[in-house]
Amino acid sequence: MNTVTIVKLAVAAVAFAAFLALWCKKRHDTLDEPDPKKAKKKRRLPFFGMVISAWFFVACVVNLVTGGSSGIHLELEMLSPRVQLGPVSVARTTLTGYCVLAVIAILCVLFRIFAVPKFKDEPRGLQNAMEAAVEFVDKFVHDNAGDLSPALPAYMFSVATLLIGCAMSELLGQRPPTSDVEYTFSLALCTFFLINWYGVRKKGLFGRIKSLASPSPMIMPMRILSDCAAPVSLACRLFGNMLGGMIVMDLLKNSLGGYAVGVTTLAGLYFNLFHPLIQTYIFIILSLTFIREATE
Amino acid sequence: MTAFAAALALLPAMGAGILMGFATSKAVDATARQPEASGKINSILLLGLALTESTAIYSFVIALILAVK
Repeated sequence: MNTVTIVKLAVAAVAFAAFLALWCKKRHDTLDEPDPKKAKKKRRLPFFGMVISAWFFVACVVNLVTGGSSGIHLELEMLSPRVQLGPVSVARTTLTGYCVLAVIAILCVLFRIFAVPKFKDEPRGLQNAMEAAVEFVDKFVHDNAGDLSPALPAYMFSVATLLIGCAMSELLGQRPPTSDVEYTFSLALCTFFLINWYGVRKKGLFGRIKSLASPSPMIMPMRILSDCAAPVSLACRLFGNMLGGMIVMDLLKNSLGGYAVGVTTLAGLYFNLFHPLIQTYIFIILSLTFIREATE
Repeated sequence: MTAFAAALALLPAMGAGILMGFATSKAVDATARQPEASGKINSILLLGLALTESTAIYSFVIALILAVK
């Protein structure tokens, strides 16, 4: 414990005390203020000062305990480490993905057992929310891919739930399954299968081949190539975005040391919540667009 | 040398950034002109941004493959 640390801790503590006193004084002054919004506005500055000095104090204590940051270093592996489960070797991310799936499945079963039998004709509360969500997804799929099958919205809804759940697993300290190219590529292969399945079912096998050679047979290799590029692009997009978010979060945590207290929380709001939502939306809307292209 | 190659592979990200800005500015123009069409413009914009962004993502993935052993 050197002098710099002591000075930092003392400054943070004194600043916190000063801001607390100021806040109490402001609060006392504005007790008889008729407009509560105005009173809140007056207390805002000391409140922020309090938060920042408290953050600085906690960061200094964490730095003291853990030894602080040891510079920017990042250990990254493209493929996740593997674990041996009996005779099979499984990637860690795949296991995390199965855990997420299990949680989602248990939630679904609980909904089915406890919530669905209580549903009435007049929706209220939870039933309202669920019906709105299902209707939204139905309409979304119908607008983007046409009326193909009732299973398609269900599949898209489950993919969206899975992707968001996978992104949330990063909040528990796990590497998100979607930051592994194997996982995203398997999802993209499902989309590839759906594209060809609906294309063949709507037009027949010869119709599908004919639509690939539509302007002239010369162009057919290019069309087949671009069809095969679709799952690769879907997989790489999801993988790159999720891995990028994970790298940024890891770098923040490693380089800031104790000062990362709270900062990673704010950054995580973007990188673990908002960003996966947008990527899920893009994954689904691109899948639906490819399916519509194949069936039109 | 591989680090240099990885840095070079990230050049397309620059183009993707600039062009995503262009696309967004056009979308803002269109929405200002026709506010009632904002929903449709929004979905088209997001689709286009996703396709543009994939250039940057490919370069990022290639740079990672080069840089990470």
